[in-house]
Amino acid sequence: MAGQADSGGRDKQRGVALVTGAAQGVGRATALRLAADGFSVAVNDIADDGRITELAEQIGGLAVPADIADPGSGPAMVEAIASTLGPVHVLVANAAAMAMSPFLEADPDQWWRQIDVNLSGHFRVIQAVIPAMRAMGHGRIVIISSGWGVIGHPNATAYAASKAGLIALTKGLGRELGPHGILTNAIAPSFIDTEQLRVDADDAGISLDEMRQRYRELIPVRQLASPDDIAAAAAFLAGPGSSGVIGQVLQPSGGVTRTRA
Amino acid sequence: MTSSGTPLVAVVTGAASGIGRACGEAMRQAGWRTAGIDLNASGTDLSLRADVSDPAAVAAAVEQVTDSFGQIDLLVTAAGYYEEGIDVTDITIQQWDRMLSVILGGTVNCCAAVLPHMLSRGTGTIVAISSELALAGSATDLHYVAAKGAVLGFIKSLAMEVAQTAIRVNAVAPGPTDTPLLAQDSLWRKPDYLATLPLGRLVKPEEIAAAVYYLATEGSAYCGEVLSPNAGAVI
Repeated sequence: MAGQADSGGRDKQRGVALVTGAAQGVGRATALRLAADGFSVAVNDIADDGRITELAEQIGGLAVPADIADPGSGPAMVEAIASTLGPVHVLVANAAAMAMSPFLEADPDQWWRQIDVNLSGHFRVIQAVIPAMRAMGHGRIVIISSGWGVIGHPNATAYAASKAGLIALTKGLGRELGPHGILTNAIAPSFIDTEQLRVDADDAGISLDEMRQRYRELIPVRQLASPDDIAAAAAFLAGPGSSGVIGQVLQPSGGVTRTRA
Repeated sequence: MTSSGTPLVAVVTGAASGIGRACGEAMRQAGWRTAGIDLNASGTDLSLRADVSDPAAVAAAVEQVTDSFGQIDLLVTAAGYYEEGIDVTDITIQQWDRMLSVILGGTVNCCAAVLPHMLSRGTGTIVAISSELALAGSATDLHYVAAKGAVLGFIKSLAMEVAQTAIRVNAVAPGPTDTPLLAQDSLWRKPDYLATLPLGRLVKPEEIAAAVYYLATEGSAYCGEVLSPNAGAVI
């Protein structure tokens, strides 16, 4: 059956996947899942502090450190992957920068940094992977947006704007590339139990457990999503079971688009 | 299979044809035991003939499932029918009532029959089949679209009501799908229409079943989600 974690084995017959922002959290979980599903996986992050090299070794993939906000880096990264693993069949656009601040206090450099990485960075990476996908007549682009790009969030306007931009990009690319056999869809997670929670807790001056509890209170199902939940959604969108899905935004967020009753 | 090795159990309405049949087959293929509720006999492990718009008949059918299999892990409500090419002013009250009682009433009846069982076990998954037409509207099939839209409101609310249990309630909203429900001369089969779709073709029933399978097996983070495999009909 489509999308099962054990369906691919280690023979990597399902093609090449590129996951940006794979050093930790959702990106790392997605890289592990896609490798388990039978993809050769290239793992990117802004710099290699050892984590993506170790991950690449673990999954028999390739580490491709690059700052995707750097205009030349996307094409160079995709070229390096093509010459080593082969053309990219699946792109999971996950890398993101986030800085929280009240809107009126937002630092313009931080505003543009978030747009440059989250939105423009992936614009360039997507441009770089499309020619080979078109030549193959097949491709999957999975964009990791955010629930905040759907419903907004106080003190996260730049991040939310960049993630909403990715949703519009998903819809436009879905329409533009669908006729070429390239399916573009997005995932908009909300509260996930990742390393980011520690940052949020430190910002709020509370413990990690208090942060988890604070977030749980906001979620109808009272559970944070796990990185594996998001990785499973990415695997579904990368796999054969989603062949009729195009331009959609999946929200594995425990129902958080609605404020708690 | 559960960790204890007991096969999971799926109840699928409308299991005799089209999307319902594809859902039953996908679950069987994955090792689940399947019960089908349909006006006609289905190729499920337990074929039950009942009209989903009849609450007593649905309750009796669901009881047969629990008697036979002891548990229900998944309910897929796919039973329905379609009428197109009718201007709104020409839809009779009988057509309206029948459509609402089968599509909305059928979904409600099945959820009402299965939910107590899921609540007593504290777990389970419900996936209702709605329609992409309910997301963006459609002309000349307004009673069908209204009923499918009502299903979404119902499912989202039920999802919230049981959110704090491990029961997950979501919907799949298929695009135009190649099933017997679409007449051979249906508007949705015409080349001119298909050319407007980014995928350029009808959705296959197996593609809807794959979405249901995903929600049933890895969908614990979804609550009131509407997953729409629709070939790009509604983006």
